[in-house]
Amino acid sequence: MTGYRALARATARAALTYRFNLLLSLGAVLVQLVALLAVWRVILAQAPVNGFTWPQMRAYLLVAFAAGTVVSILGDFRMAFRILDGDVALDLVKPIDYQKARLAEALGGLWIEVILIGVVVGVTLAVTGGMDTPAGPALALFAASMLLLVPLKFLIVYVSTLACFWTQNFMGVQWARLAVVNLLSGALIPLVYLPHWLATAAQWSPFAGLTSTPALIFLERVDLGEGLTLVAVQLGWVLVLWFGARLVWRAALRRLTVNGG
Amino acid sequence: MPIVEARGLTKVFRRADKGSGLAGSVKHLFARRYQDKVAVDHVDLSIEAGEAVAYVGPNGAGKSTTVKLLSGILVPTSGEVRIDGLHPQRDRMTVAHRIGVLFGQRTQLWWDLPVSESLAVLRDIYGVDHATYRKRLARFDEVLELGEILPVMGRKLSLGQRMRADLAAALVHGPRVVYLDEPTIGLDLAVKDRVREFFRGLRDEGTTVMLTSHDLADIEGFCRRLVIIDEGRIIFDGDLEAVKDRFARERILHVETTRPVPLETLRSSLPGAEVTLEETPLRYAVRFDRFAMTAGQAVTVLATLTDLADFRVDEPSIEDVIRRVYSGDLVLDDTGVPR
Repeated sequence: MTGYRALARATARAALTYRFNLLLSLGAVLVQLVALLAVWRVILAQAPVNGFTWPQMRAYLLVAFAAGTVVSILGDFRMAFRILDGDVALDLVKPIDYQKARLAEALGGLWIEVILIGVVVGVTLAVTGGMDTPAGPALALFAASMLLLVPLKFLIVYVSTLACFWTQNFMGVQWARLAVVNLLSGALIPLVYLPHWLATAAQWSPFAGLTSTPALIFLERVDLGEGLTLVAVQLGWVLVLWFGARLVWRAALRRLTVNGG
Repeated sequence: MPIVEARGLTKVFRRADKGSGLAGSVKHLFARRYQDKVAVDHVDLSIEAGEAVAYVGPNGAGKSTTVKLLSGILVPTSGEVRIDGLHPQRDRMTVAHRIGVLFGQRTQLWWDLPVSESLAVLRDIYGVDHATYRKRLARFDEVLELGEILPVMGRKLSLGQRMRADLAAALVHGPRVVYLDEPTIGLDLAVKDRVREFFRGLRDEGTTVMLTSHDLADIEGFCRRLVIIDEGRIIFDGDLEAVKDRFARERILHVETTRPVPLETLRSSLPGAEVTLEETPLRYAVRFDRFAMTAGQAVTVLATLTDLADFRVDEPSIEDVIRRVYSGDLVLDDTGVPR
């Protein structure tokens, strides 16, 4: 355990080294958040669309921002480059589990992300007015959903990064993942705005758990029973992906070629 | 029981065989063709605890691939590896504690952390207790002068500093078997000397070392056993000194005379030796087989022809022998006898 804790601490410290980079990328996300808020404010000024009112959409976008910021700063780049460079060879001779080690690193960066979320949500609420929070049980379910989001997002990023063993390129993998995740998670627009068949498919996919599920629970657009089902789907995907990732990893090792040095 | 054992170890890489140009690449999308490249070909190797083995071969011979197979990084296509009787993939965790790996061209330091932090993370990953860790660090510091680089960020290290820090990183857990793959590449002479001294210390403490290097000075005076690999196959495995005694028979006598002597005169009085002029006037090189003639005899003959101002005898290094093996000049079998 100490080994994993040490890795988490190392990432937490390393993250601070890149604080300017961090602030810049945060700036980019903020611009997007502000733009989305502005657009929806105009669209929803007259009447709700698909049942979303302006305050609800604002809450949705803030949850989406929080969900998008968690497990986003570090990790996948470093992991991808180590795979592409062949430095992953040195990770293989360590007496720790590769997957758990990467999870520890993702968790190490979490504290900075939580602080960022706190600041941004706080400022937004201060500028645009307060927000309703759901009742106790729904709030607890929302918290559970946000917690499950951490391993879920990590696993989706992790499995897609393992694709580097086959593609020999990271940018393509990353762009593809971002496109799929943005659309099917409800990060860009709530899933109800999608065609019905696509919305249903997305709902059961692992991606809904990245934004839609916690947001819908927070807005109480689903009742407790439905919410429980959605969280159970999240949990199911975490388990499936955790063990599925191990199979992918095993295949990747057989595939590994480390050239030179 | 040997601590490292490989039997029939083979690794085949599949490489996409694309035709030339865009047409070839497009065609490859539809009809994939691959070429098999055998990097390591039925290698049998057995290393006893405490041995220091030099593993040499030309570029692309399969040295690094062998090291990666022996450390469990790569899965062999066929054949098997045992480290201390353990299977490096199945018992990855246990094996990891017993081996240390240094790839001269790679680093395991964190770019964005000071060296001391990187080493501390490794200490925790390997579960080394603090007292042992401090003791090891102090020992590394003696030879590698780590102290001055501990507070430096990984990305700000010079190559020599990085290699010293990486050596510490590879050995922080006190492994029983150490693979050193090109550990002195790109280092200046002073650092090389220091690193070599460190290796000797390791060996003297009973650590099993397998050293891969292009710099044969790394090997001389450190390894007793020499393994030569070429095109994925082991072409020699035996005692380093024996090879040297047997094949490094050539001596070169460099002489400086007080006045010019015709080359023909020198050649006719030293039959069996090869006499050449060196760059500066009055200097000659006499190349001879030490079993056909002694250096003393050569000097005596030359002294009767002219006054000698100076002379010096060069012994060939193991480098010369290996160079001749690489170039196909010399074929060795397993006992070191030319075929």
